[in-house]
Amino acid sequence: MARYLEIAVIDDDESFRVALVESLSSLGYGSSGYASAEDYVRVIGGNSFSCVVSDIHMPGMSGLDLMKHLAAQGSTTPFVLITARSDANLEAKAEAAGAVCLLRKPFEIGDLIGCIEGAVKG
Amino acid sequence: MASREGDLVLSNLPPSRTQQKLALSVALVIVLAAFLISATGEQQVRLAAIDALVPLYGMAMFASDSITAVLLFTQFSIVRSRALLVISSGYVWTALVVIPWLLSFPGVFAPRGLLGGSSSEITVWLYTLWHAGFPVFVIVYALLKDAEPAMRLRRFSAGSAILSCIIVTAASISAATYLLIALQPYLPSFMIDAVMFSGLWYYTAAIIALLSALAIILLWVRRKSLLDLWLMVVMLVFLTEVLISSFPVSARFTLGWYAGRTCSLLSGSLILFVLLYEITIVYARLIGAVRAQSRERGARLITGDAVAATIAHEIKQPLAAIITRAETGLRWLDRTTPEPDKAKEQFKEIVADGRRAGAVMEGIRANFKKDAQIRTWLDINMLIEETLTLVHSDLQQQRILVRIESRGELLQIMGDRIQLQQVLLNLITNAIEAMIAVGEGPRILGVRSELNEDGGVAVSVSDTGKGIEPQDIDQIFNPLFTTKPEGMGMGLSICRSIVESHDGNLLAFPNSPQGAVFQIVLRPSMTTSPASA
Repeated sequence: MARYLEIAVIDDDESFRVALVESLSSLGYGSSGYASAEDYVRVIGGNSFSCVVSDIHMPGMSGLDLMKHLAAQGSTTPFVLITARSDANLEAKAEAAGAVCLLRKPFEIGDLIGCIEGAVKG
Repeated sequence: MASREGDLVLSNLPPSRTQQKLALSVALVIVLAAFLISATGEQQVRLAAIDALVPLYGMAMFASDSITAVLLFTQFSIVRSRALLVISSGYVWTALVVIPWLLSFPGVFAPRGLLGGSSSEITVWLYTLWHAGFPVFVIVYALLKDAEPAMRLRRFSAGSAILSCIIVTAASISAATYLLIALQPYLPSFMIDAVMFSGLWYYTAAIIALLSALAIILLWVRRKSLLDLWLMVVMLVFLTEVLISSFPVSARFTLGWYAGRTCSLLSGSLILFVLLYEITIVYARLIGAVRAQSRERGARLITGDAVAATIAHEIKQPLAAIITRAETGLRWLDRTTPEPDKAKEQFKEIVADGRRAGAVMEGIRANFKKDAQIRTWLDINMLIEETLTLVHSDLQQQRILVRIESRGELLQIMGDRIQLQQVLLNLITNAIEAMIAVGEGPRILGVRSELNEDGGVAVSVSDTGKGIEPQDIDQIFNPLFTTKPEGMGMGLSICRSIVESHDGNLLAFPNSPQGAVFQIVLRPSMTTSPASA
């Protein structure tokens, strides 16, 4: 690990969110979880993250909506999208929205790290 | 099902409000017009004798009455009621009697008619047969129509019943015409001269009017269907025709006579119009029903997909957490200085997530259970028939021949109607897809139901598709196994679990010479035969 990264995890599924935050911490990353896109928007003033890992389908604002919202405010934070859905067209939507990767649950943590490191390097 | 079938047949269809209003207005307009012509004395105004009008009128009557007869016979072949046979024969009667009437009419084919004798007299006698005959048919129709359900003519084929009616009617008309020609010199006289009618005609006209009135009364008392309603109007027009061409003065080529012919044309075509209109409406409704059925089928299949997607989503959430935590736990242990406490925490959470996944599954199962436990006695052959109607348009489009074999009269089983239908639908859809995939060769879908020796019931669905590869035969019921590019591999696996929940077996074996057979075998405890029921 070349440098310290601060990663935000946004997912309405609490069990998975906590698991992912703990996993990232065990790998030496700084990580904090948010239960919704709205929560994340509320606190973003204080923190700036190196990368955001967000679920797509959440009650309220979706992961894709959040990306649009932040892009409109001029944010360039890279996004990794994750989903438990099987819909075939999600890859295209994620790419169109400008996400670095789309990972389908369940995925291996190595894949996520690969996405994050690749995004931050660029 | 029976009531819906009845709705599509004109003789059973109850008239709508609009139909009733329309019939009433038609009747009122005709009676009013006739009354005006009669009351103003215009009835006796003599108009020019248009000789060409008589053959034209005759041909029009013949055409419209034959078409009506054909349409009514078609209705008869569906419901097989004697009343319909009688009223159809009535129209055959009016269509056929026009022929000798035209032949005998003076000045149409020959100055004194073609049938010899005093053509003018024979013409009136035939007209009397024509106009007294039809109300009699209507009266018999009205008397027979309620006796129907018990007296259906299922024993004879529709074709032979119709043919014998036509033959009997034609023979009666021929015989009557022959007798009229032979006996004419001995019969009383209808005509005073070429155009004026004698007193006898007034009595005859009164009898025809009375018969028509009787028919109207009987139809009114026993009225039920659309056909009854319009037959009443027809008889009213008939009555008007006879009255307006006879009273106060009866003579050919008067305004009254022309008005009578107009009424006659109208009464001849009224039922025809109604039949054509209603048949078109029924046809439209049929198209709607077929569309709705295929939509329903689509909806059923989509629901299956949606349920599967929901289940997949619900399971993936805890699964993702379990995998992530397991990896984290391993990492804590894999360090140069392992941290078993932190790993232990992760494993505790894995157990909790595993339980969560189990609870999700149980919840889904419980949801399905609520609907699943509706077990009733059902006739497996009826279920097969209903399922085949769901795929009817596919079978037709793909030119697939369906062979239904049923051994044993009544195969009753205890089971969940919807679930078993889903199994059948799935097996039949698979069979159809397998045959489409092959492209060439015969396409035969076989559905066979039989009573086993042990008293159980077996239902086989066979196709002439590509069959099952020997190496696949053990796997086909496994979830996720599929040979279809679009398939999820859930179909047969769900089918098997439904059949097994009915305490039965789902088997697969090769069809000869090609294709596959899927067989549902249900044990005797779930079935009954007529002997044991």
